[in-house]
Amino acid sequence: MSHETPIRILASTSATKIIKSELNRRRFLALTGTAAGVALLSACSPQAGAGSSPQATGGALESGLSIYSWGDYDDPDLVAQFSSDLGPTLTFDSFASNEELISKLIAARGTSGYDIVVPTGPFIPQMIENGLLSKLNLDLIPNIADMDPAFMGRDWDPNNEYSICKAWGTTGYVYDKTKISRELTTWADFIDAAQNEASGKTSVLDDPSPLLGIYYWANGIDWNTTDPANLDAAEAFLTKELAPHISAFDSYPGGAAIPQAQQILMQSWNGDARIGIMESDEPDRWQWVLGSPDTELWMDNWAIAEGATNPEAAHAFINYVLAPDASLRELDYIGYHTGGAGIENAARSAELTMLDLVFFNAEQVKTMHTGKLTEAQQRIVKIWDMTKAAAAGA
Amino acid sequence: MIRTSFTDISLKVWAVIVFGFLFAPIAIIIFYSFNEGRLLVSWNEFGLGSFATIVTKPAITNAVLVSIQTGIIASLIATLLGTMAGVALARRAGKWAPWFLGLLILVTVTPEIVDAVSLLPWMVFLGQDVGLSVFNDGIVRLVVGHSLFSTAVVAYIVRSRLIGIDEKLEEAAADLYAPPFRRFTQITLPLVMPAVLAGGLLSFTLSLDNTIVSAFVQVSGTTPWPVYVLSAVRSGLRPEIAAVSTIMLLLTLGALALVAFVLRRAGDSATDIAKTVGGG
Amino acid sequence: MPLHSRSHQKKYARPPRRVKLPSFFLAIPAWAWLFAFFVAPVALVVWFSFGYKPGIFGTHANDVLSLDRYAEALSPTFFATFQNTLWVGVAGTLICLAISIPFAYWLAFKAPVSRRGVLLAMVMIPFWTNFLVRTIGWQIILAPNGLLSNGLQSIGLLDSPLEILFTRTAVLIGLVYNYIPLMILPMFVAFDRVSLPMREASKDLGAGRWSTFINVTLPLAKPGIIVGILLVYIPLMGDYITATVLGGAKGNMAGQMVANQFQTAQNWALGSAMAVVLVLTILTTVVIAALVSWLATWPVRARQRLVLGGTS
Repeated sequence: MSHETPIRILASTSATKIIKSELNRRRFLALTGTAAGVALLSACSPQAGAGSSPQATGGALESGLSIYSWGDYDDPDLVAQFSSDLGPTLTFDSFASNEELISKLIAARGTSGYDIVVPTGPFIPQMIENGLLSKLNLDLIPNIADMDPAFMGRDWDPNNEYSICKAWGTTGYVYDKTKISRELTTWADFIDAAQNEASGKTSVLDDPSPLLGIYYWANGIDWNTTDPANLDAAEAFLTKELAPHISAFDSYPGGAAIPQAQQILMQSWNGDARIGIMESDEPDRWQWVLGSPDTELWMDNWAIAEGATNPEAAHAFINYVLAPDASLRELDYIGYHTGGAGIENAARSAELTMLDLVFFNAEQVKTMHTGKLTEAQQRIVKIWDMTKAAAAGA
Repeated sequence: MIRTSFTDISLKVWAVIVFGFLFAPIAIIIFYSFNEGRLLVSWNEFGLGSFATIVTKPAITNAVLVSIQTGIIASLIATLLGTMAGVALARRAGKWAPWFLGLLILVTVTPEIVDAVSLLPWMVFLGQDVGLSVFNDGIVRLVVGHSLFSTAVVAYIVRSRLIGIDEKLEEAAADLYAPPFRRFTQITLPLVMPAVLAGGLLSFTLSLDNTIVSAFVQVSGTTPWPVYVLSAVRSGLRPEIAAVSTIMLLLTLGALALVAFVLRRAGDSATDIAKTVGGG
Repeated sequence: MPLHSRSHQKKYARPPRRVKLPSFFLAIPAWAWLFAFFVAPVALVVWFSFGYKPGIFGTHANDVLSLDRYAEALSPTFFATFQNTLWVGVAGTLICLAISIPFAYWLAFKAPVSRRGVLLAMVMIPFWTNFLVRTIGWQIILAPNGLLSNGLQSIGLLDSPLEILFTRTAVLIGLVYNYIPLMILPMFVAFDRVSLPMREASKDLGAGRWSTFINVTLPLAKPGIIVGILLVYIPLMGDYITATVLGGAKGNMAGQMVANQFQTAQNWALGSAMAVVLVLTILTTVVIAALVSWLATWPVRARQRLVLGGTS
């Protein structure tokens, strides 16, 4: 039952002592903060719950529920129906990056006011380590049986004690067939087109890891590498050979770039590309390509924050959303696979469009790799910053 | 017959072009608020659907209410502090005046991003480490963030206005044994009222529009309107955003007309009003 | 018997002595407010800039003080961003000047007096729409399949769809648009100060229109013009949202870098250092510009200096 991933830090000897003491102090503060918060909560609620044991026991639902998630990531009609069926009124807040989520939770030390949070997989081990998430009481979430086992028990949370899949997706790109006449199929093709036909009209995701992923996947390197030689090579390539051709860093080209035909070549996530093409005036103009030979599998998860004030409602909401018909409605709204078993058949019989951008066959899924949070993270973010600066100067 | 020279005509043409430039995006937004599509930027068909959606999306109405609430409180604080400071600078400028003026200039000169990144850790420090839990409240944080620049602006406007007015009126009141507080409320204040109103209006505008500082310091549950729009940009703006902007524009136009009417009644000419807003 | 008894004196006594309040009394609340919420936080930021980022989820730590963050902030790639920001800031301010001066002149001297209030209000009205929404409005106008593009193509001025979005030009258009009312207003007030008799006197003395403008109107309006320049230049340097929405990668401004460090990278130490560098850059450029313009007008001023009393 070990989900303790040791934190590995690369540092100079002189800094090691400082970092150690700082980490310990921070952990101590975090733990005492959360312990205090939990002690306070347990003093208020009839059930005793210390540390990270589940706080919800199937009691009455509270009147409110606060969800901290990515923007516009749930079907509003479904949410309204939950409120009218079961009672709690929902407030949504959005964050733009996992780092923002985590730093908000750390800064708040258990008083953030959020109940449900939606982190991406690789960040979950560190969140558990730092006491930011509380365990789920799976007895209150019977609909978990409706989930496809392939998307449960991932390496960041092998027994789904803290998180359940909300949606998963992958990364690829979209290109304008009227401007690029040849067929593009791989990341190497993406780079080639960016440097030629689509130079100055290319956009990449505004996210550090998939940006470096372009280089790694095109060159057959494991994108979770921490080898400094690989990082140096990625930096040199991105800042010198790709940056001059990039015209935008856009994580949501489906929102405006595709419908407005702002670029010729756009790296994008599958669901976002699907929505963009569906909303465009000329859907046949655009071709989606799944990144190959390797690409990413990212998964956003339902989790409950430590110090949540509405744990019953939180469990009820997660259970509500995992039900098959609710799951299908979520899929329809956000355009991503919600991890439910049999949802592909349900989607096909409901005649939803462009499902090849949502469902992938087993071979394709094999080429998708999940990301890991490594000690190279800071270097990766720095390379992303430098690429942005290089793209501006060109 | 008045000969209109070439310069006059070209200046007029230029003015028309500038007005066109100023109103082009506004007209577009008002037009697109009647877009029935899913995305704001791709025109689908004409309709009033987006206005109806506003009512069904509590997130939007909450955001607008938070913005209006914060705007009123922040402009009240800024007007109060700024007026007093402006009067002090104009009437009782002593050795302290250059330092205070320097502080005001520093506040004006600092880019908003620096304000924002400094306020966030400070608020966390005050709220968490020092234990002043009032700074964990969303509205308090927003009001503090919005009131800084506005205070400096109001102080400057009031000072400029008061410096231009002869001190003799207040001296006469003093000669007639009016106590200082009475002097302030019955003589000084009415004299600077246009400046105070203009400053208040400007503070309200700045607070409604404040994006960067709000994005950094805001707290769950109290999201102001500009921050809502900022996060909506990422997931594809919907026509409701334009609809709300149109409504807010009409509301603020109404408020502006009201203020102008009140001032006109008080006897100020249009140019005077404009001059006070401009820091005349 | 004394003529003025004590009771007699009491009737005509002076008004009671009041406690003399210090002259800065009224300014104290504003001073306290600004000190608590502006000076202290900014001082904290400067303090952070000497620290470092301790590990993945730490945001800042100050046990070890160093200037390393400044070295990082001034590294070649980030320095390029500061240069970019400076270019955009100066260009944007100059364009605002070029647009506002004729407009403010017209408003102050040529527009019908009765309409002035309405016209000024019309200048302010765009400010009443949300800043981001205004920028999106420009994005719609400038889109390759948008109105401007289609219009220009149908007239024949353009062969292919408009390619302005995601260029420096789009960034300048957006920035100029968002800050121009801040320049028009002070400039109008400044021109308005130059009274008609002044200009008429200049004309009576034989100066042409242009000469009057350069030698009389402009110098008298100088304070307001300077206010306008500062009110536009400084926010322009710190703005990054407009630049990113309209300019994409080309719109990478220093403000964006600072925001990135505080949001995505969670590296408050580096972000603080970048913020300090940004403020110093702005101040330096303003000082340099002031010095340059002072030096440049020295010969003109020397020539125009009037010595009364004669030399002997």
